[in-house]
Amino acid sequence: MLKISDLHASVDGTEILKGLNLEIRAGEVHAIMGPNGSGKSTLAQVLAGHDSYEVTAGSVVYRGMDLLALAPEVRAREGVFLAFQYPVEIPGVNNVYMLKAALNAMRKHRGEPELDSYAFMKLIREKMKLMEMDASFLNRGVNEGFSGGEKKRNEILQMAVLEPSLALLDETDSGLDIDALKVVAEGVNTLRSPQRAIVMVTHYQRLLDYIVPDQVHVLSGGRIVKSGDRTLALELEERGYDWLAEAVGA
Amino acid sequence: MSAAIESLRAQFTQCGSALPGAASIGPRRKRAFEEFIARGLPTTAEEDWKYTSLARLQEQSFALPGPVDVASAMAAVERFAVEGLEGPRLVFVNGELIPPACRLEVIEGLEIDSLGHALEQGAGAEALDQVVDLDRYRFARLNTALFVDGARIRVARDTVVSQPVYLLFITLGDETARLVQPRVLIEAERGAQLTVIEHFCGDGAAALVNTVTEVLNQPASKLTHYRIQEQAEAHTHIASLNARVAADSTLVCHNIDFGGALVRNDVHVRLAETGAHAELNGLYFTTRRSHVDNHTRIDHLAARTTSREDYRGVLDGRSRAVFNGRVLVAEDAQKIEAHQSNNNLLLSRNCEIDTKPELEIYADDVICSHGATVGQLDETALFYLRSRGLDADTARGLLTFAFAEAVIERLGIEALRSRLSRTVIGRLPDSERLRDFT
Repeated sequence: MLKISDLHASVDGTEILKGLNLEIRAGEVHAIMGPNGSGKSTLAQVLAGHDSYEVTAGSVVYRGMDLLALAPEVRAREGVFLAFQYPVEIPGVNNVYMLKAALNAMRKHRGEPELDSYAFMKLIREKMKLMEMDASFLNRGVNEGFSGGEKKRNEILQMAVLEPSLALLDETDSGLDIDALKVVAEGVNTLRSPQRAIVMVTHYQRLLDYIVPDQVHVLSGGRIVKSGDRTLALELEERGYDWLAEAVGA
Repeated sequence: MSAAIESLRAQFTQCGSALPGAASIGPRRKRAFEEFIARGLPTTAEEDWKYTSLARLQEQSFALPGPVDVASAMAAVERFAVEGLEGPRLVFVNGELIPPACRLEVIEGLEIDSLGHALEQGAGAEALDQVVDLDRYRFARLNTALFVDGARIRVARDTVVSQPVYLLFITLGDETARLVQPRVLIEAERGAQLTVIEHFCGDGAAALVNTVTEVLNQPASKLTHYRIQEQAEAHTHIASLNARVAADSTLVCHNIDFGGALVRNDVHVRLAETGAHAELNGLYFTTRRSHVDNHTRIDHLAARTTSREDYRGVLDGRSRAVFNGRVLVAEDAQKIEAHQSNNNLLLSRNCEIDTKPELEIYADDVICSHGATVGQLDETALFYLRSRGLDADTARGLLTFAFAEAVIERLGIEALRSRLSRTVIGRLPDSERLRDFT
């Protein structure tokens, strides 16, 4: 599904990713953990195609394609989805229309017929139920006036509607209380499938109690310094990140 | 002497005595004309006109329009009128009233007349020039001197009129540059409520539309005024709205500009008594080489008066826009509140905006704020939409639409909102796809 080789990326001339390697197969859930400033969010943004980040070396192959050569919207249509750490408020652009346009852009890209309003509303109501979202959401601007928790729910709702092949969740648990966390986790778990890969970027292991990863990686100093199963996350929880950074000299 | 002034003088000499109201306002017209000529057209040496040059206007010769063919007038109405508006309607083509296109429903307490007709009947003269500051607005003087027709609207004490009064001014340019000068007088008596739409549109070659509106808000009244300007690309449009707002009254003004080569729009509101309130809402789209200048002036002359002002602009091509928002707070006007903002979106590298707030405050217990922004679309929002699969052009169009929609949303009339939303979309790249969003 995704193979990242020796990825280097910088922002404003400062190198953040310094030779990152990672391979993810369909059906797997990976967690990327690490201290603040280790490059977790940069990795997510680079994969989604944010142009503030400059890739200076390395390659990313996604389903046989050179991912880095694709525009952000093309990546999205090919099934890459980034759930933002800080979802953007866009007053005046309606949630539903945005999502319908997004879904239809994908369907068109895949050569499928576009959904009409009726079919789309049916679909979105079903997904909203899953995410325990209020109907008033339908008439609001994208994330407009949403609480932190509502914004994160909205990200997962979008993901549930768009059904990506590769879902990148950037600090999806931050700012969530425990009830909201359970709803969001349930939403993500529903999407687990043999055809889909999920990458969770997170600082804390709390989320991993609810969405159990197949593999855990520790990102430090712009590289993956350790990989393991979910017990690694528990160890990190207990011991913090410092021992690792010292151990690898990062 | 410039060609423009020369031609106006000839017009006044030829037609002056035939204009309506000769008996009642003839001398006033003559005086206004002489004073206008004495000072001439404003130049960029004057602070109020610093960014708006009338040099090209100076070179043109203007003539009052000839008689209008009713069949072509009716066809133009068909083309330009806002659909779905109910209520009284007066239609003017090249300044001339077109009776078969008008709709004059009888609404108790509402008096609507063509101003020309009223003056011929010996009425209306007393309301003319009562609110406008002719020394400040020199084009208003030209209007007083040479206006042919317009509307006189009065709503009686405690009358609430729910349907808007729709004034449609169509200008059809031809080989001679036409001078079209509507004049509108509105009075809301104590406790009355009314909405008036002034809609300016048209096509064809260069024409000068110089329109003046005078508004009297008596105590506890509410007037909502729309000025929707969609004139042809070759037209010049000069407008002033002059209002006096009495105690506990509200004036809401919407100013929307989509057309015109050169547009100057002045709004002057005097909050004359305690509790008077004004809301100014503006949107301008400029394109190619158009130039749109909005000057607003709100005088807080009494205590506890309030005003809120929000103008937004979307600039493209090599166009230019000017926003000058002046707020004056008189010495005794304590506990007033005035908020102003002007936000601009520049879609090309070659457009220019000059935005300037001017606060002149003589009282010490006031709340005033102002802010202006000039910028491009929010890159983060753009990336967010693209990361959801929307292509860059659609995302840009959508964000521009949302920016303008914040102003359009405040319009209280659905028929106008939907028409203007469609117009905005028509101005954006990838408009076909964006139609789904309204």
